[in-house]
Amino acid sequence: MMVIRSLVSVVDDDESVRESLPDLLREFGFAVQAFSSAEEFLASDCVCRTRCLILDIAMPGMSGPDLQRELTLRRKEIPIVFITAHRDETVRPRLLEQGAVECLFKPFSDTALREALNAAFRVS
Amino acid sequence: MESELRRVVDALPGLVWTARPDGHIDFLNQRWCEYTGLSVEQALGADEAYGQGWLTAIHREDLPELVERWRSILASGEPREMEVRLRRFDGEYRWFLFRACPLADASGQVVKWCGMSTDIEDRRRAEEALHAPWWLRSSAREHHFRSIGDSIPALGALMTPAGEVELVNRQVLEYFGATLEELKGRAISHSFHPDDRPDVLARWRESVETGHSYDFEARLRRADGVYRWFHTRGFPLRDTEGRIVLWYLLHTDVDDRKRAEALLAGEKRLLEMVASGHSMSGILEALCQLVESTASGCYCSVVLVDPSGTHLEHGAAPSLPASFITAIIGRPVNVDSGPCAMASYLNEQVIAADLTSETRWAAYAWCPMALAHGLRACWSTPISSTAGKVLGAFALYYDEPRTPTLLEQSLIEQFTHIASIAVERVQNDAALKRSEAFFAEAQHLSRTGSFSWRVATDEITWSEQLYRIYELDPAVPLTSELIHSRIHPEDLPFICEMADRARGGDVVDFGYEHRLQMPDRSVKYLDMVARATRDPDGRLEYIGAVQDVTERRLSEEALGKVRSELAHVARVTSLGALTASIAHEVNQPLSGIITNAGTCLRMLAADPPNIDGARETARRTIRDGNRASDVITRLRALFSKKDATIESVDLNEATREVIALSLSELQRSRVILRAELADDLPPVTGDRVQLQQVILNLLRNASDAMSGVDDRPRQLVIRTGRDEGERVRLTVQDSGVGLEPQGADKLFEAFYTTKSSGMGIGLSVSRSIIESHHGRIWAAPNDGPGATFSFSIPRAPKSVTDTHGLGVIRMPVTAARRVMRSR
Repeated sequence: MMVIRSLVSVVDDDESVRESLPDLLREFGFAVQAFSSAEEFLASDCVCRTRCLILDIAMPGMSGPDLQRELTLRRKEIPIVFITAHRDETVRPRLLEQGAVECLFKPFSDTALREALNAAFRVS
Repeated sequence: MESELRRVVDALPGLVWTARPDGHIDFLNQRWCEYTGLSVEQALGADEAYGQGWLTAIHREDLPELVERWRSILASGEPREMEVRLRRFDGEYRWFLFRACPLADASGQVVKWCGMSTDIEDRRRAEEALHAPWWLRSSAREHHFRSIGDSIPALGALMTPAGEVELVNRQVLEYFGATLEELKGRAISHSFHPDDRPDVLARWRESVETGHSYDFEARLRRADGVYRWFHTRGFPLRDTEGRIVLWYLLHTDVDDRKRAEALLAGEKRLLEMVASGHSMSGILEALCQLVESTASGCYCSVVLVDPSGTHLEHGAAPSLPASFITAIIGRPVNVDSGPCAMASYLNEQVIAADLTSETRWAAYAWCPMALAHGLRACWSTPISSTAGKVLGAFALYYDEPRTPTLLEQSLIEQFTHIASIAVERVQNDAALKRSEAFFAEAQHLSRTGSFSWRVATDEITWSEQLYRIYELDPAVPLTSELIHSRIHPEDLPFICEMADRARGGDVVDFGYEHRLQMPDRSVKYLDMVARATRDPDGRLEYIGAVQDVTERRLSEEALGKVRSELAHVARVTSLGALTASIAHEVNQPLSGIITNAGTCLRMLAADPPNIDGARETARRTIRDGNRASDVITRLRALFSKKDATIESVDLNEATREVIALSLSELQRSRVILRAELADDLPPVTGDRVQLQQVILNLLRNASDAMSGVDDRPRQLVIRTGRDEGERVRLTVQDSGVGLEPQGADKLFEAFYTTKSSGMGIGLSVSRSIIESHHGRIWAAPNDGPGATFSFSIPRAPKSVTDTHGLGVIRMPVTAARRVMRSR
């Protein structure tokens, strides 16, 4: 029987992240799609299938929070785990308040990511 | 017979004589001998002189003529006569008529000369008396004197030897208004001015006693009581005996000359007072006194128009009562307040001949006031400057009604002219002194001295301030050696070379900075400019100014240091602001590393281990590690404080690095950056880190300018390219709020900021850096929204100094400011 793996989408303009993170997520057992911008993600057919979104905050053009708002408007309630290289402690509570599952500061451990994903799937 | 004849001859009523044909006297009668007191022997003479002894009795003056005539008589053989003076026994000479007749024999040959001399003294006297000058004949005196004396243009008088009046000409009678008898009846001194009487009498008496001619000047009282100056000369006239028979006196009227002389002397004295810088009141007072002594019977005053031209000020009025002056001073300059005010106002002479019938100035009741002071006439004349401006008025007052005569008018004109010279000169002097004081003060305040240098004579003239700057004593003569002793040894060769070139005349304008070294080893910085001129004789002269810029220079140095510090502060400030960006930049690769490492471990721990996957993730780990290392290297370069290092810089590469460092921050600010870097950009010489600092500043500045912009893309374009004149240009164009017009030229000043946060030092520091690269930096509004900041630097400047280096910042600053203002 074919195991239907949950789809986790990664949206990050940083190439290192787009290269490294999908491999790790696959190791966790997820299906993964990586996008270099929010716009690219929105244009893809993955929006409805994505069970969890790992989303960079600062990106040229549409930012992570922008995408979050856009999804809310579209009533696509995908659990979101924000990741950011900008360590701003004030950002995290605000994002969580607005519905994010977690906000991870780069660099983060695989354990922390795992826990965040667990939490995300609990929500969903 | 002979004795009979002799008796007859002796009895003749004359002196009888005979002579031989050759002229020798051979007989003289008794009377001849008695008259002359000579013996016959003496009269005849002996031996050689026989026949010539009688000549000793002839008057010496008549002798040559007698001898000559006697010779011609003898030659003529005709009877002749002549008149000679013959000495009497008592020594007195008397005139005699000598008659000689020839006595011829039958053949007509002269054998004898017979002669008779007759005393004609009395006849001669009578004749002489008849032909004598008129003055020797009292009866003729009056007639002659009238005909000559009345026709001469002077006062003439004949005086007796005792010095009394005998006759006078018509002019004397008219001048004194008296008859001859009246004049004879009064003492001579009575006609003279009381002040002159003692001298006149003494001199006249001396002349009368000694017979020396008389020559003196004194005032004679005219019939109307006016005294006029006369030059009197007196000559004694003597008879043949040398006795004074009368004095002839001639009085010549020299009054006009005397007055002119006095006036001239007075004018000279006044002008000397003006020239020697006497006070205005002193000069004007002397002027009034001179006027009063020249035109007797008047009171003189000078009033001045105050600097505002509206009121009268006191000038001088030594003989007028103070209450009168006080009543005039302060009156407004108009036609109503009084004659002087009117004359000043109209710039016309005002004559009030009789104040009792005067109707003008009633509004100010001027006439009653003047009349109350006993004044009856007033003539006021404006005093004008050479430029025609009315300086005041010159007034003459009289205590009787009067109209100026032509003479008085010309005097008034003369004195008004002198007054104008005095007032104008004093005012000009005051203005000059003020101007000199201003000049000296300005030199002092600006620490600027001036000098002139006559090249041919090496004559150097300094202003006071220049002595002060050099700290030299103005009393010590200036020499090149003295000046050179003050110049900083390092600058001396340069100064000497400059002076040599200037001496050659091939330098028109020159200016340089040099230093002085004072005896206490302190250093002064001087800024000198000079210009070559030619004096009227075509000789070369340099005129120049020297400014002590020590304080400015020291504060520039201090400012340079502060700038340098600020640059560091700015970097540190940027560091703080960029911490997040740095962390972001480092965290990205770190994140990759950790994720990859985690993945790698999981792949190896799988069963079976995913070796290929692990190898791939390990490779990516290494690559991300290198990325992080690169970031750190770049940061270390940017944030280390070190002095300027000069190297060849590829501006494109430097820009890319800055973009790499700023990119995340720009992204966070949602700025869309486009880089248009020219492919063929030549390298520049300069300090790479400093230039990057400028680029970073411009990028942050552009980003900040767009932080409030939400209605359009936050577009930022950075361009590099070649600029004209072997320069390279970098521009940063934003679409932000743009420039405030009034802030445009302040942008690059320290601590000027339009941002609520920020110290406003970024652009200021940027300018310092660019100027130290001999470049310029400016800002200009875009056609659309936003502004464009640019800098342009030479490809290879001759030298680049650190931002606090001397002499580099100054000029470019102003150049940069000029660029800023013109946009």
